[in-house]
Amino acid sequence: MIIPIRCFTCGKLIADKWEDFARRVKAGEEAGKVLDSLGVKRYCCRRMLLSHIEIADEIIKFYEVAGKGKQLRGQ
Amino acid sequence: MNVEILEKTDTNLRFVIRDADAPFVNALRRIIISEVPCMAIDEVVILENSSMIQDEVLAHRLGLVPIKTDLNAYNLREECVCKSKFGCNLCRVALTLDVEATDTTTVYSGSLVSENAAIVPVSANIPLVKLAPGQKLKLEADVRLGRGKEHAKWQPVAVCAYKNMPQIKINPKLCDACGECVKVCPKAVFAVAEGKVEVRNLLACTLCLDCVDACPKNPKAVEVTWDKNTFIFNLESTGALPPERILQEAVKILDKKTADFLKELAGEKDETS
Ligand SMILES: [Zn+2]
Ligand SMILES: [Zn+2]
Repeated sequence: MIIPIRCFTCGKLIADKWEDFARRVKAGEEAGKVLDSLGVKRYCCRRMLLSHIEIADEIIKFYEVAGKGKQLRGQ
Repeated sequence: MNVEILEKTDTNLRFVIRDADAPFVNALRRIIISEVPCMAIDEVVILENSSMIQDEVLAHRLGLVPIKTDLNAYNLREECVCKSKFGCNLCRVALTLDVEATDTTTVYSGSLVSENAAIVPVSANIPLVKLAPGQKLKLEADVRLGRGKEHAKWQPVAVCAYKNMPQIKINPKLCDACGECVKVCPKAVFAVAEGKVEVRNLLACTLCLDCVDACPKNPKAVEVTWDKNTFIFNLESTGALPPERILQEAVKILDKKTADFLKELAGEKDETS
């Protein structure tokens, strides 16, 4: 759904690194090197970012459309 | 006992303890994990939440946000002078959050407004929720001190572990520098230099003994053992407290526990515990 705040296994804070990570990987950088530069060392924390899919970005589209509908109807 | 610091950063502390024994080092580790207090959001009053994240999921996310902790100015709720379960200025900090989205936005931990500027989330860039236009979020959150044994959100550390000091011996009479151990070692402990195998990075050794298995000689040319009285201790703070402070608090708690135990042995009743 939305990036978990901490690593499930060790408890390290990872949520604050997600947006940076996602942006840089999308821009073509190698994921492993991005993780290294963000200081995410252990494989438990690395999989948190590597395997995450931000479904919230997909779901929020429905709310955006619903919000526009309300505005048009003057509610 | 003798302590040597190998590495110290804002969140990380790695040190060697010499002339100690496993029960002592393990007591330290367990106290750091479950008894050194730190701050976390405990109760959340949600006044309005029209986001797609449910109230309870949001409250759980908030609870896991590491909070910069001031151990000197605040008391644990159960030890506080107020003796109240609602808390007072010495045992609670209120955070508020009030956002209404006009565009699609992400709400970050930086939007939490604290009544004490020193008690804030460790990072201001933690995404909490995403809001679509017109969605609102309004809540009050109570921060208090707690201990890891109550909930993992009050654990001041992410990693807190130790290992014995490795001891690697290469027998020069048997070793012909075939390099099998260099190849197999996952931590690159060995290197071949001038026709001889050398131990380059002793502290990285995880005692997996793969090098011993890989050695083609019989008897084996490489021997891996460990010093049972020397430990490499690694501590990574969540950011709530500096790692050296966590260690100091753990030692204080261990001191108090042993003093209480001795008192009990002597037959005195301790009124405070
Ligand atoms: Zn982890
Ligand atoms: Zn109080």
